[in-house]
Amino acid sequence: MKNWTPELLSPAGSLEKLKVAVLYGADAVYLGGQKFGLRQASDNFTAQELREGVEFAHERGSHVYVVLNSFLHDKDLEELPEFLTLLSELKVDAVIVSDLGVITEIQKHSNLVIHLSTQASCLNVESAKLWKKMGVTRIVLGREVTIKEAKKIKEETGLEIEMFVHGSMCMAFSGNCVISNYTQGRDSNRGGCAHSCRFEYSIDMQNEEEAKKAYFMSSKDLEGIRMLTEFIEAGIDSLKVEGRNKSHYYAATVSKVYSEALAHYKEHGNFLSDDLIRWEEELRKISHRDYTTGSLDEYADESSIYNQRESDDNEYVVTGVILEVKENEHILLEVRSAFVPGDALEIMPFSGKTLSHVASSIKTISNIAVPKSKPGSVVKVPYIAGAERFNIIRRKLAEAHV
Amino acid sequence: MKFVTYAENTTQLKELAILVETKKIDANVLEVIVGTAAISRYSENTVAGLEEMIALNQKFKLPLVLEWDVLQQESLFQKNAELVSRLPLHEFKAIRIQDPGALNLVKEKFPWLKVQLILENGNHNYTGLSRWSDFLGEQLDRLVLSNELSREHLSNYAKELKTELEVLVFGRILLFYSPRLLLSPLKKEAVQKDILDKNVEAYGTSEESPHAGFPLIENRHGTFMFNVKDLYLLDHLDELRSLNIGAVRFDLRFDDSFGHLENCIDLFEGRIKHEDVLEIKTEHPRPMIKGFYNINKTDVLFTKLKNKRIQRQDNNYVGEIVDVERDQQMALLIKSKHLTLKSGDELQLITPEGKTKTLGLKIFSDTSGAGLSHATTNEVVLLPFMSGVVAKTQVYLVNKDMQ
Ligand code: SF4
Repeated sequence: MKNWTPELLSPAGSLEKLKVAVLYGADAVYLGGQKFGLRQASDNFTAQELREGVEFAHERGSHVYVVLNSFLHDKDLEELPEFLTLLSELKVDAVIVSDLGVITEIQKHSNLVIHLSTQASCLNVESAKLWKKMGVTRIVLGREVTIKEAKKIKEETGLEIEMFVHGSMCMAFSGNCVISNYTQGRDSNRGGCAHSCRFEYSIDMQNEEEAKKAYFMSSKDLEGIRMLTEFIEAGIDSLKVEGRNKSHYYAATVSKVYSEALAHYKEHGNFLSDDLIRWEEELRKISHRDYTTGSLDEYADESSIYNQRESDDNEYVVTGVILEVKENEHILLEVRSAFVPGDALEIMPFSGKTLSHVASSIKTISNIAVPKSKPGSVVKVPYIAGAERFNIIRRKLAEAHV
Repeated sequence: MKFVTYAENTTQLKELAILVETKKIDANVLEVIVGTAAISRYSENTVAGLEEMIALNQKFKLPLVLEWDVLQQESLFQKNAELVSRLPLHEFKAIRIQDPGALNLVKEKFPWLKVQLILENGNHNYTGLSRWSDFLGEQLDRLVLSNELSREHLSNYAKELKTELEVLVFGRILLFYSPRLLLSPLKKEAVQKDILDKNVEAYGTSEESPHAGFPLIENRHGTFMFNVKDLYLLDHLDELRSLNIGAVRFDLRFDDSFGHLENCIDLFEGRIKHEDVLEIKTEHPRPMIKGFYNINKTDVLFTKLKNKRIQRQDNNYVGEIVDVERDQQMALLIKSKHLTLKSGDELQLITPEGKTKTLGLKIFSDTSGAGLSHATTNEVVLLPFMSGVVAKTQVYLVNKDMQ
């Protein structure tokens, strides 16, 4: 008997990342157009890319949700109907919205399904009831809500409930931080957050004690892999991974790990798998701050503060993404970081354990052997059985040649 | 136009009552926001203290507004909902709320209680404001608007919305509201016990920010960070009145600002001129600003964040050059699902720097060097080398009908 599991919803910061997320197991992806979404720094999708992305995901049975979660000003709203027409034409599965004005415009100009963004900070049953009256069918709860509370919200409203399972967290109640607006002149609620919460501050407690230096308002990252049973038992409909600005490697790893874990549950009705350790290890190999379970179990406390400088010291580095596999001939690799012949590479298949491989040679496309690959170039490495287009190849950083 | 301010305790309530008694301000023009620590963001008042204020006000009959402005997760929310329902709500002119949950509860359970809806975060468009207004109908007393709205927007909303509008004209600008306790971990253990009852205050300065001295408060609701500069629109009171703004709020809760109360009332009533009370601004512990009152351009930077040229634009898009080997070839990844590349096609190439090149496609091959007559999506094909073309150059099919 197959057991019920929630939808795994992965970030798609670009068309390529959408493909990676879907191929690595995401049941749904969320993405932004060129406007109206909160991640202005990510590549985002043109109309053409949206079309291609929706087709790609739908052909593989995955849903596509489009974020329109900025708090828009009047003039921003004027351009919205045209975009809504496009989204309706493309048959996107839902839009994710936080502003009641945007919800109203969507209802006026389309029949699109509306999910309430976490930016609206819906935290309790009564709030969910109100948004239901406004016409939303799913609520992405604030990250401050526990799974137990989420269950109650679902039971008492009948709404679909989505919760974050993994990724970076705003320290503020979402939508309730305007530091960038006043300090950098960039609207954090229209995609301009400057991440001031990640800075080190000197805190002056006013004569009481000496000023202390601390990253006092930076949050650890959320990791919910050990909470999947609770999510499932609570009937949470969708588990969302944060990170539209993050790398292909990130999109691939989180999609793969959580989809494998959920697939295991579907089959066995538990997470008693030897792979649990492997899944956790994989999540440690992607760029992240220390992990916390945030408020999934109990409200986040002091232990959820990431009191240290941001750093990029990862154990693993992405070597490249496979662009083409010519069976028994070669693999074409888009190089993300330098490597040399003889390096131990790991290929991440779309599911299952990584494949180890030592690249005996590196050649340019015109078959000229090179001693070291250059980031940004495309190189040929000998054929590896089992490798597929869009697989990600990585290696341990100790062996990297940056 | 109404004069809205806060009273934290009976002493402050009495001071306000005296100003009414001495005819400094009419009781119908004044509005006093009161609260208690459990449901108000910064109040240190106990429930007993609030009840005392309500009892005292039997004599003064000042219009009191109950503040329930915290955001709370379900379990905490339920406790507060219960507390609110135990309060003598009939004693209040209205309740002031931000959480949509509190709004729904008040609408369902206390339909007779007027609501002042705080729309200070987001809510920057007419469509949304009017939908909130319609949702509450007769129960809505007022919309409390965001500090980020410019004069032009305020003017438009005041003209178009039937509802009364309120703006902040003096006080701290809240930048950040977190439910997590962020200051107490930095304090010595002995001090931590106080946190539930008293606000912990501090100032934060970061070398990574050009601004220094962000005021911080931590209490049972979490941590609040304010701007290094406070809002000051006291020189725009007449203008706001002429724009038809229904209420202006003087937030005198911090930095001993309550001492300015009488001056603020005199200024509001036109008994003194702005020039007569410049010390309110000059003696304030922090610089004061007009915020976004004159103009809000916080979206200008976004358009500069991206390199437009490497974005795809039209239906003739073929794909992207992913690699160039000098004097050898260029590798084109076909990204379009709809176009087939054929020999004889004419291609337009747009480099990341914006240079345009054209290429008549005679021969092309796959990555093993085998010649091709056509290629489709996801294939990597090799084109003859062209100088000036680099990786990330975008390739388009020249539309023959357009020639
Ligand atoms: S600065 Fe930090 S808390 Fe504020 S919006 Fe950005 S990520 Fe969130």
